[in-house]
Amino acid sequence: METEGSGTTSRLADVVQEFASAVVPALRGGDDRFDLLGSVLTQDDDPLAAAAVRVLAADALAPCLLAEKATSERDVLLFRQAIDGYPPTPDAAVPTVWSHWGMRAALGRLHVGAPGGETHQHTAPDTAWVAAQPWQRMTHQLAQLASLALPGLPSPLATAVAARPVDLARGFVRAVRRRDWTQAAGAGRWLTVTPGVPSSLGLPAGLEFVRHMGGADARVALHVRAAQLAAERTRVPSEASV
Amino acid sequence: MTATSTSATSASVPGTAAPRLLHGVGARALEWLSANREQFRARTDATTTRVEVMERFKPIGELAVIGKVLLREGVAGSEQAVLIRELLDFAWDDLLEGGELLAWVQRQEPMSPIPLELYVPFRELGRQHSDLESTVRLAHGLASWGGVEVVPNRRLGLSRVESRAGLSPSIEPDEALRRTWLGRTPEPWTVEYHIAYDVTHTVFHRTDWGEHPEYLPADIADYLARWLPVWLDDWAELRQWDLLGELLVVDACLPEPTLDAGLWQRYAAAQLPDGAMPARDDAPERAAAGGGGGDGSPGEGGSPGEGGADPAELFDWMYHPTLVAAFASVLATSRAMTALTGPSPEPR
Repeated sequence: METEGSGTTSRLADVVQEFASAVVPALRGGDDRFDLLGSVLTQDDDPLAAAAVRVLAADALAPCLLAEKATSERDVLLFRQAIDGYPPTPDAAVPTVWSHWGMRAALGRLHVGAPGGETHQHTAPDTAWVAAQPWQRMTHQLAQLASLALPGLPSPLATAVAARPVDLARGFVRAVRRRDWTQAAGAGRWLTVTPGVPSSLGLPAGLEFVRHMGGADARVALHVRAAQLAAERTRVPSEASV
Repeated sequence: MTATSTSATSASVPGTAAPRLLHGVGARALEWLSANREQFRARTDATTTRVEVMERFKPIGELAVIGKVLLREGVAGSEQAVLIRELLDFAWDDLLEGGELLAWVQRQEPMSPIPLELYVPFRELGRQHSDLESTVRLAHGLASWGGVEVVPNRRLGLSRVESRAGLSPSIEPDEALRRTWLGRTPEPWTVEYHIAYDVTHTVFHRTDWGEHPEYLPADIADYLARWLPVWLDDWAELRQWDLLGELLVVDACLPEPTLDAGLWQRYAAAQLPDGAMPARDDAPERAAAGGGGGDGSPGEGGSPGEGGADPAELFDWMYHPTLVAAFASVLATSRAMTALTGPSPEPR
């Protein structure tokens, strides 16, 4: 019998890995439709299913957002449950608030209707922290919001990030040096959709390095694959020299 | 690394370090070096072997190079200027026996570049030894001299040493620079402990130990301006004071040094009351305990061997980071004073 606490937490982590593992191959290719629940053993009535989607946020539908795959009705329903079931509290941390916003924006983008109507046009959360924080902390938080680093998704967050490409690149270097593959992959994903990244960073090789070293974690693999897909689609201008 | 460890310590104190903070580190370091100068000695008596002498050339050479920097920059204050002159006089007249020791080693091992590396700073300060010079000239004329195998950043250093000694360089410095790790401006996330030392030494050699920051090509200066802040932040957090000191020298060699106040405060706080700078945070305890397990030579962040904290062992543990502290301090102070007193003197 599993008790509340670490047991649930670790099972949630397992379900998150299971879901992320289903997203990665769909980002690589396959058919035109993405069916998350059809690709995993976890059932949609398992309470951890919605919780895991909340953790992955918009990335639970990444193949639909990044690879133009059709959604499945069951997945969208689960996605909505995750949005409605975990509304951010007034004092919620920045990543919580933003990833919630990102999920609503994702639904709007997929034209599948969102709870409360055109929610992606709702007032976006605060972005002042992006400019205010030291590069180390900024990168750490942005990496937690990598699901929002989508090519062609204009957001106030992406605009704020665009002002600090070098600082974000420094954060990527720091994360790789520390073997913090999750943070490195998340930061790398932002870098692929941000103009002005120094070419001396060696981002494409860096992403491959992160995938090789940290890709056993499906969330790392997901971020790297999403970044590579984004890079293929958006050739954001990097710097000419270093 | 966990999320909680990402606090941005280097950025917590914004702005550049005050000259007084920068200067204090070097003044204390110099006092320690002066008080411990006997430990630099290479030949204790007639039975000292050439190998034993050459083992001590590394500390003496670093003392010579950095002592010359201190004199050159002229920001050390009059008390320190006296100490530096005394130290350099001691090194040349006493430790190197007026150059005799260098000439002796050069005759024993004519293809060794080591005596010349030690000699050049003294030569620039007006000391001369004709026999050493003639032996070096003879060796330098041989194909063997330029073919001696050394790591690329040292080859760059030798190219500058040759020029400074009035000899033609075996390889042009810019070509030598491009053969180093830094010269290729590689992926900054691949930098590790030993690569970081290769980076610092490449900058030392290409700029003649900070005398000519403008010799650093613009692309490499830009590359360092981009990525040095990450490496500084990392090795400050790892409390590797020797490497941090060398990276602070690199910062002071850039067209726009950051002279980061937060980093300098942490660096200054690591200095021991007597002025010695530990290589790492646990250095004094390790030295006292005779602990091993270092990750480099004793001079560069390693730890002393077995046998307790005898003065010679403590010295080997401390002298390099302490010389680096004096070096970083004088260059950073000089740059800070320049920033205070007027426009940049050396347009790039």
